[in-house]
Amino acid sequence: MFDYRIYEQIERYLNKSMPAEEQAAFEALLRTDLRLADKVQEHKQLLQAMQHYGQRQSLRQKLNSIHHDMEAAQQPTVATEEVPVWKVFWKKHAQTMAVAASVSLLSVFGTLWSVQQLKAPVRQQTARYIELRREVEKIKKEQRALINGIASNETVAPAPRSARFSGTGFAISPDGYVVTSSHVIAKADSILIENKAGLRYKVTEVYRNTEYDLTILKVEDPTFGGFGKLPYTFKTASSDLGERVYTLGFPREDIVFGEGSLSSATGFEGDTTSYQISIPLNPGNSGGPLLDDKGNVIGVINGKQAGQEGAAFAVKSSYLLQMVTEMQQSTATAPVSIPANNTLLGSSRTQQLKKLQDYVFVVKVYN
Amino acid sequence: MKKSLYETDEAIIEGIRQDDDRALAYLYKLHFPMISHFIISNSGTDDEAKDIYQEGVIVFYEKIKGNSLELSCQIKTYIYSVCRRLWLKRLAEKGRYANRIDDSDSYLTLEDEVPVHEENEKQFGVMAESLSQLGEPCRTLLEDFYIRLQSMQDITEKFGYTNTDTAKNQKYKCLQRLKKLFFTAYKPQV
Repeated sequence: MFDYRIYEQIERYLNKSMPAEEQAAFEALLRTDLRLADKVQEHKQLLQAMQHYGQRQSLRQKLNSIHHDMEAAQQPTVATEEVPVWKVFWKKHAQTMAVAASVSLLSVFGTLWSVQQLKAPVRQQTARYIELRREVEKIKKEQRALINGIASNETVAPAPRSARFSGTGFAISPDGYVVTSSHVIAKADSILIENKAGLRYKVTEVYRNTEYDLTILKVEDPTFGGFGKLPYTFKTASSDLGERVYTLGFPREDIVFGEGSLSSATGFEGDTTSYQISIPLNPGNSGGPLLDDKGNVIGVINGKQAGQEGAAFAVKSSYLLQMVTEMQQSTATAPVSIPANNTLLGSSRTQQLKKLQDYVFVVKVYN
Repeated sequence: MKKSLYETDEAIIEGIRQDDDRALAYLYKLHFPMISHFIISNSGTDDEAKDIYQEGVIVFYEKIKGNSLELSCQIKTYIYSVCRRLWLKRLAEKGRYANRIDDSDSYLTLEDEVPVHEENEKQFGVMAESLSQLGEPCRTLLEDFYIRLQSMQDITEKFGYTNTDTAKNQKYKCLQRLKKLFFTAYKPQV
């Protein structure tokens, strides 16, 4: 007979509003009737949950009204600083957007970079002019050794300084005038020339024409007694296309012969002061004489085009002669006696070279 | 004016203990900006801030009411810690893991407070659900009697029952149904 009367009893029990003897009786009943005990427990829990719910509900209401009051109090200020939609959006998605932005930036710059990488070899093919002055490798090593010695705090006996750059030069008159390329002796402290026979002279720069990239040096040595009669002459007229030409130079420690032909009457990018020649040249060849078959000097080796096979350039001899004349006028030096007789004419190439090589010098530049 | 009244944490707690709504209102207004700032700067919205903050205040309130509050720090720090935990949990539920939380304040770990609160919250949810399934007039009848604690006499008049016995019988039936609804959905832990 579980009807509401039982519940009333249970509730009275839970509220502790039972008279003492009834409560005792009820508790006794609880101990024997487990089903009733369960019911009481369940009922208790339900009522608690319901009361809890009620309290919570009213608390929520209270808080909501407080919140509402608070917002109402702030309304005048809040109205002006109402958070715009974009701001909310930004706050929500800032992280995602940052990631997206960095990914897109990365891909854009990555693409640009790789395109550039692909282009790089193409760009190398565009014309570039290389001056053939040689940086002396051995010396670099020596200097490094010297620096290392200093760094390790050892006392190293000062080694004789050796040349930093080298090029080629050749005599233009018996009284000690030598010509070479201006860029060879750029920024030089002191210059020495040395030929294959081992003769070594200290020289100074006496005249320079940067337009033609030519410099005239003069031997300073007091013991110098002249080069003797020069075997070659200088050609004043222009040489013809296809003429066989050769040069002597010092791209390494020893003298090196190079042969080819005159491939164009103009030089780098249409430069009319020089020839294009098809002689394989290397750094150190700059300033060397360019001779034709008959033993006439027709030019001074000067540079080559980077990345282009067999395109080297030499300043025409007529400009060299013109420059010698200018020098005599402007510096009032003793007249330079340009050789007039060609003793190479008619001899074989090897004979020509034997006579020539004493007048071709390695130009050593110290700075 | 009110400020001077609840200057200290103790005064606020005492006020809440004595059911002073002004103390609660003062407390609420005092710390809302802090939590609001915290939630909004950690990818939340205004509404979420309000929600979390109210839960935090409820935890605090019920602790006081239950006399189980052992406050070893300022109220401010306590509420901040509770809200911080609740918010982290909410974020995890939303599947957005906050790898870096912008803390504007120091906080406690509060290992035991939040689980208890969650259990209560669950019970509360089930009760709300059960009551709404119960339908009218049962719901109002039960709420009037058990929550608003009105007398059976008033209820009889309000619902137009012929006598209190009919009302009691009706209440008994409603209670039976609620019990069924509640205990099928809610399995108390422990």
